Amino acid sequence: MSPRRIPDHDARMGTDVMTVVRVQEREIRGSRPVDDPSASPAPRDSETALSVRDLSVVFPSFGRQAHLALDGVDLDILRGEIVGLVGESGSGKTTLARAIMGMVPPPGIVERGEVIFDGRNMTALPDRELRGIRGRRISMMVPNPRSELNPLQTVGRQIAAVAQEHLGLTKREAAAKAMQMLRSVRIPDEERRFKAYPHELSGGMAQRVIIAIALICSPNFIISDDATSGLDVTVQAQVLELMKVLVRDRGASMLFITRDIGITAHFCNRIAMMFAGEIVEIGDVELFFERPAHPYSVMLLAAFSHNPALRAHWTKDTAGRPASAVAETGCRFRHRCVRARQRCAAERPELRELRSGHSVRCHFPVVETSA
Amino acid sequence: MSLLEVNDLKMRFPLVGSRKVVQAVNDVSLTLEKGQTLSLVGESGSGKTTIGRCVLGLIEPSGGTVVFGGQRMGRNCSIRFPSMRGRLQLVFQEPAESLDPRIKVGQSLAEPLRVLKMNRADRDKRVLEVATRVGLSEAVLDKVPGELSGGQQQRVGIGRAIVTKPELIVLDEPTSALDPTARSEIIDLLVRLQKELETAYLFISHDLSTVRYLSHRVAVLYLGMIVEEADAATLFARPRHPYSIGLLSSVLLPDPTLKSRPLVTLEGEIPSPIDLPKGCFLASRCPFADKHTEETMPPISMVGPGHTVRCFKHEEIAAMDRDDDNFDRFQRNAERVLSQGAV
Repeated sequence: MSPRRIPDHDARMGTDVMTVVRVQEREIRGSRPVDDPSASPAPRDSETALSVRDLSVVFPSFGRQAHLALDGVDLDILRGEIVGLVGESGSGKTTLARAIMGMVPPPGIVERGEVIFDGRNMTALPDRELRGIRGRRISMMVPNPRSELNPLQTVGRQIAAVAQEHLGLTKREAAAKAMQMLRSVRIPDEERRFKAYPHELSGGMAQRVIIAIALICSPNFIISDDATSGLDVTVQAQVLELMKVLVRDRGASMLFITRDIGITAHFCNRIAMMFAGEIVEIGDVELFFERPAHPYSVMLLAAFSHNPALRAHWTKDTAGRPASAVAETGCRFRHRCVRARQRCAAERPELRELRSGHSVRCHFPVVETSA
Repeated sequence: MSLLEVNDLKMRFPLVGSRKVVQAVNDVSLTLEKGQTLSLVGESGSGKTTIGRCVLGLIEPSGGTVVFGGQRMGRNCSIRFPSMRGRLQLVFQEPAESLDPRIKVGQSLAEPLRVLKMNRADRDKRVLEVATRVGLSEAVLDKVPGELSGGQQQRVGIGRAIVTKPELIVLDEPTSALDPTARSEIIDLLVRLQKELETAYLFISHDLSTVRYLSHRVAVLYLGMIVEEADAATLFARPRHPYSIGLLSSVLLPDPTLKSRPLVTLEGEIPSPIDLPKGCFLASRCPFADKHTEETMPPISMVGPGHTVRCFKHEEIAAMDRDDDNFDRFQRNAERVLSQGAV
């Protein structure tokens, strides 16, 4: 879409955001949420729920070189799809999530690129308009639920507040809807939990409250930023199952950020690997795990093998250099790559398609040699 | 006699402002032989760390005994006592927080030897030897912990533990703060060190994939009670307690083809250790539970050589058994996938 349409759009939405949202809600309440045609020009591709185009985010730093947190990220997420985003800490996962929400933390700035959601560019919308979208059309689940919730308010109140703000419900209607959400995230004894404060809940329970808050307005797009990492495995299994069902029932899409590559294998349709602000490999889960192509992906998977010889084969001895080293020129991963050659230092690889549904950013991908 | 014998260990913590107590450990009995690894697995609140602290004598048990090398551990004998120094060691979860940020790594490694009154020259020699053993270069010894990666920091933590040639090391979640690559390196290191030094490990973890690889025996804890204990291979291939089965099937291994329908799905969460259930602790979450299990605590049953389980329904579960060890299948699949394109 042309960026010129945005100001015109702003003006219209700006006049009475809540009215528009209310009208939308009346139309879709109780039914599967669909894109509201009046609020957005037809998306470029009707199957695409959210589209990230050439997105770069920098964190300027005084006296030192600016940190490029995201460098030309392209990502299309389809309707009803769950995409897993995996990478080590500092690879830009959370920055991407925040850029999608239109809230890159200062001093970070979106240098170029756009995030198209509902036909609008999230990186260029004014705050007032973003507030109408966040929580309503797109929402985010965070880790450490107990520190994210307001300790001075009952959880019922906190869930209801979202519905009151975005759906224009009365206090009583919102409370009823919140109670219904507590039931659908399967919190036992919901009448009592409604009146509980966050510290009275277990970690798993608090995480369910976060899910309830994220889903109460039936958003089209949900981001989970490491939201299950603090949970015990049996509780995590329950929470993941619940998320999957709720996301599927609502026909929503999801970006699932995690450090645990094991979850993506069972929970996501596609997986995107991030390294140093770039997507280095992206593919359907079955293709990716059957034939991982980027040496970084293979190195990560090798870490789960109990065969030391195989692991050593894919892990470069980085003695003398921190294991997190990122190359300034050429391929960013080359200092840690067992396959790095001359070309990798000279030329930065582009993301290219290996086969249908599987792309990699590498001059010498692993599978080409055997495929 | 075994190196470590724990008998009917109970640990109660009083609650301030209440007559109630937290029943953190309930009738736990364990033995650990020289040079072996016993793993304690379970979710948070299952009493793993408390057992570790009792073993080190850091807390006096409320009931039962811990005997290490013939000595009863507790108030009158602990890791803090001069006679015990160096024989028992502890490795912590957060390597960064367990090292003094202002003290050079070399000094941290030498500290336990200084306490043992070893002279300077011997100390330096031993520190260098240990550093090589745990894979740290000589240059690292002059750095402070902040300059090291997480994996290197944990190597220092392990080096500091083995420097006194202990008979037993309690490893309390030593890998859970590390990224996957560093984690596998630390596990390799621990396995190699055990072979070389014949140290016994009490390995506390919730990372079952690691436990499978590292352990000789595994005890599964639930609400401070051992619900199942067996050899590692047996427990992973033929778990007999519904909780063990649920725990094992909740682990998501990075391979989408391992999607078997779980035999047991656990509902809800771990109950409070303040008001323990009357009967079987798992009854509120267990698909096999009935009136009887809710009322009565199941006894310990022997279901195979060295394989004990605390469940009324173990025969029923054995009949449903499919004998598939997903962890083992994962390793075989991983070898195949990783061998592709190997140059």
